[in-house]
Amino acid sequence: MTILETKDLRKVYGSGDTEVRALDGVNLTVEKGEFVAVVGTSGSGKSTLLHMLGGLDRPTGGTVTVDGRELSALKDEELTIFRRRKIGFVFQNYNLVPVLNVYENIVLPIQLDGKAPDKGYVDQIIETLGLGNKLQNLPNNLSGGQQQRVAIARALAAKPAIILADEPTGNLDSATSLDVMGLLKVTAQKFSQTIVMITHNEELAQMADRIIRIEDGRIVVRG
Amino acid sequence: MKVSNGKTIRRLGWRSMKAARTRNLIAILAIALTTVLFTSLFTIAMSINDGFQQSNFRQVGGFSHGGFKYLTEEQFNELKDDPLIDQWGLRRFLGMPTEVPFNKSHVEVSYADANYAHWAFCDPIEGRLPEEGTDEAATDTAVLALLGIQPEIGAKFTLTFDVDGHTTTQTFTLCGWWERDEAIVASHVLIPESRVDAVLDEVGVTPPGSNGMIGTWNLDVMLKSGSRHIEQDLNQILADHGYQNETAGDDYIDTGVNWGYTGAQLSDNLDPIVVIAIAAMLLLIIFTGYLIIYNVFQISVTGDIRFYGLLKTIGTTPRQLGWIIRQQALTLSLAGIPLGLIAGWFIGGQITPAIVSQLEGIVPMTSVSPVIFLGAALFSLVTVLLSCRKPGRVAAKVSPIEAVRYTEGGTIKRKQKKGHKGVSLLSMAWANLGRSRGKTAVTVTSLSLAVVLLTVTVNFANGFDMDKYVSNFTASDFIVADAGKFQNSVLDFTADMSVPQSVIDDISAQGGITDSGVIYGQTFGALEYVTEDWFRQNKERFYTPEQMDNLIRLTGRNEEGLLADRIQLSGMSPFALDHLTVLEGDLSDLYEPGSRKIAAVYADDDYGSADLSSHWARLGDIITVRYVEETAYVDPDTGIAYASPEDVPAGANWVAQPVKYRDVEYEVAALVTVPSAFSYRYYGADEFVLNDQTFIQDSGTSDVMYYAFDTTDGANDAMEKFLRDYTENVNPQFDYESKALYASEFEGMRSMFQLCGGALSFIVGLVGVLNFFNAILTGIIARKREFAVLQSIGMTGKQLKTMLVYEGLFYALGAAGISLVLTLALGPVAFTAVGSLFWFFTYRLTLTPFLIVVPVFALLGILVPLAVYRSVSRSTIVERLREVD
Repeated sequence: MTILETKDLRKVYGSGDTEVRALDGVNLTVEKGEFVAVVGTSGSGKSTLLHMLGGLDRPTGGTVTVDGRELSALKDEELTIFRRRKIGFVFQNYNLVPVLNVYENIVLPIQLDGKAPDKGYVDQIIETLGLGNKLQNLPNNLSGGQQQRVAIARALAAKPAIILADEPTGNLDSATSLDVMGLLKVTAQKFSQTIVMITHNEELAQMADRIIRIEDGRIVVRG
Repeated sequence: MKVSNGKTIRRLGWRSMKAARTRNLIAILAIALTTVLFTSLFTIAMSINDGFQQSNFRQVGGFSHGGFKYLTEEQFNELKDDPLIDQWGLRRFLGMPTEVPFNKSHVEVSYADANYAHWAFCDPIEGRLPEEGTDEAATDTAVLALLGIQPEIGAKFTLTFDVDGHTTTQTFTLCGWWERDEAIVASHVLIPESRVDAVLDEVGVTPPGSNGMIGTWNLDVMLKSGSRHIEQDLNQILADHGYQNETAGDDYIDTGVNWGYTGAQLSDNLDPIVVIAIAAMLLLIIFTGYLIIYNVFQISVTGDIRFYGLLKTIGTTPRQLGWIIRQQALTLSLAGIPLGLIAGWFIGGQITPAIVSQLEGIVPMTSVSPVIFLGAALFSLVTVLLSCRKPGRVAAKVSPIEAVRYTEGGTIKRKQKKGHKGVSLLSMAWANLGRSRGKTAVTVTSLSLAVVLLTVTVNFANGFDMDKYVSNFTASDFIVADAGKFQNSVLDFTADMSVPQSVIDDISAQGGITDSGVIYGQTFGALEYVTEDWFRQNKERFYTPEQMDNLIRLTGRNEEGLLADRIQLSGMSPFALDHLTVLEGDLSDLYEPGSRKIAAVYADDDYGSADLSSHWARLGDIITVRYVEETAYVDPDTGIAYASPEDVPAGANWVAQPVKYRDVEYEVAALVTVPSAFSYRYYGADEFVLNDQTFIQDSGTSDVMYYAFDTTDGANDAMEKFLRDYTENVNPQFDYESKALYASEFEGMRSMFQLCGGALSFIVGLVGVLNFFNAILTGIIARKREFAVLQSIGMTGKQLKTMLVYEGLFYALGAAGISLVLTLALGPVAFTAVGSLFWFFTYRLTLTPFLIVVPVFALLGILVPLAVYRSVSRSTIVERLREVD
């Protein structure tokens, strides 16, 4: 079952001499339960692709379909609501809310949706990620690896259709990186989640089911 | 080590500043605003103070620092060259015209030299001061108008005036005149010194005359040390020449300090509560100013620290960072302070006169002292430098990497946050306020200060109790009497000042009078006999011990050896008796015509509390009033009796002894206080009240001192108009007072305080709102990225806005709560202090301003976040997410 699909996706910044084609006709399909890594150098357009997939930015051309919905057809407000229900984000710099404790951060997207968190499910995630004894801590008291684990928990908590991870280990040392990657993969499998991860680290990319290479806004190799 | 890197540092500072355009604009505005706050505030305050001072000078009649009174020529020559004296002026008082048309004016005929004339506001706008040896005189337009003379140089005029009891008529040639200033109580007719001596010769009076004033030398001075310690200087001058001003004697010289100099007045009665109140007010204002600037710089900390951390990573030392920060602050100040000074000058210079001109009794003037501007500029600068220390300090302390990653949340001291239930928008908003408690506190404080100030001002102006004020001066709606009775300078009530029945009839004919009555005044001799103890106690403040002993020796005694003392009797009709305040006893017997009951009159102060030591009579006491019909003047040394004091040989003493008299006994039925409107308006003798019938019967006189009456509300204005015309044109010997006159005087005063306080509250309120705006604005800008994160994980714009509105409301409600507590807690304390300053002040707490301001704040709490968010949400989430990287 296809969970994510892009058709001739294009994004152009600027115009004339300063025109930059960040994405130049990307066609991509991700199946449910897949773990896809998108690799590329800086400026290859991989972050832009992720933003398009997550509905954070609007494409210049082409379409993005997530879980059967075409994102460009949604208004801003609808898009946000769709995002909190269907898409989980994991950012390079964690992006936890500094004034909320770990637990509050994890359940934030669910509560923003006005729903009660699925207690058993959330507890399972917390346990899997080893955050049980940190729930009342504020983010600034956690190490980078711990913070990223919280971010992963937050991404999973709302049972999204897909998780988009943007250089999730970019700020972590290599041991922690492997640790976090392992957890990401294990949790995704355990909760049958689909992951699209951006990275420039080939070694980490090898842990994915499939690697997509992107250069100058185009997909060059399909692994 | 000295490295010439100044240029680089300057360039860095300059470039980084250019990058933060919005922050700069806000900062410049904040600095300008503080400067405006200070300049305008102090300009207004000082203008009003100066205006008060000028009004005081006009009330005093001059602006010399002080003076020595009633000197002999030798004393004058001795004192005038004292080294403490910078400039001196001389005046010699000759006499006063009191007959119509001068019965309602205070006009003094005297010689004054150029200095004195200038200090007494006698500066001819045309002509000049009189020259010695001529028949010239200079005076003001009011005197000329009363004389019916056109103000033309060379006009001849005749003036009849009283010189120590001798009436004289003199002709003068007008040599100069000036405009009459309504605020000045007395008008002057200035004549040459030679003319003063000539007139004194003519009437046969030798200075100092019988009252110790006529023709004496009055030396007014300006002191070298200014107005700071006038009294001390005057005393010093006296001491240096072997004189003193405390006890009577040959070396006694009377001095006067011009109380118009507020400073002199303040240092004389330093009430600690007042000082604290003033200091607190000043601190509040300074603190508010500090808050504005501090807040802006504090708010831009986050962004700046990242930048400074970046500089640090590439090798900028903390010292250099400090330079960059200071350079930026100074550049911003350079733009902001002059802007503020100009705006402040405009507000101060243009608006103050508009405010002051509304105030009655205050001379309009604008003080634009350079000190104010300098002070305001300096204060703003210091505040700026203080405020920008923080980013520098933090940046210097943290490691470069930490600084680069610095976020506001990083300053959260707590490690944990309780709660397992998750979050709501409300709890997130609350948590956000806690992220920078200092900033939140500053914002909430400055907002609440505005509310407190406003409430205080309104309460202050409201507390001015018109009823208290008016009733202190009036009793009935109207009161009519001889004009002299309303002039402080005219003392004894005499038979020719009586209000005749014809006048009462004229007034009654107007209709609308609901109730009326008369107060008969004493025009005959009446004595009581008192113990020597009471005699001494009652008069001790007027005499020195030696004088007192001499006075007692020369005072007649009755058979029991008690001392004769003059009393003041008045006869009141029931309408007047109704207005007495009974301290003890019962007035009802006094209403009975012909009753031999009497009320003893006690003194009271402005606050209405009676002084129970001001009279000897107690309830049930029997007082014998001796109505004197004929008096003999007995030389105590020879025992010879004379029929009149003038028959007593010069140099001999005499004792007044009643030879023909009637004694009437009365029982004291009540102890009362008399409203000052109905009283003799001078004191010194024991005072008693009889009913009108008994008074006429026992004294055989019926001279109406006051005719008092109430009118229906509808008839008030007509009566006011009638009396004004009647006393000016028909029967100018008489004058009137009314509640309406005092009410308008009161309104003028109240509106002054309302205007000043309103202006102050407005400025502080504006500051509070700007602070609030600032806090919200910068708070949102600083969290732009965080909001993008929240939106990326599914917070809708609506939810975000709701959260921001909650934050705004928390600020607003926090401010409301704090100000309410402050008002309730501090109000009574502050207003007790005010009550001790103004006797007509009644503390009445009104929360109306609070109730008006709170919804406004709440509205701001909703609208400001929404407006700011709108401008932020223009950039896309991705743009915002990327901003920092």
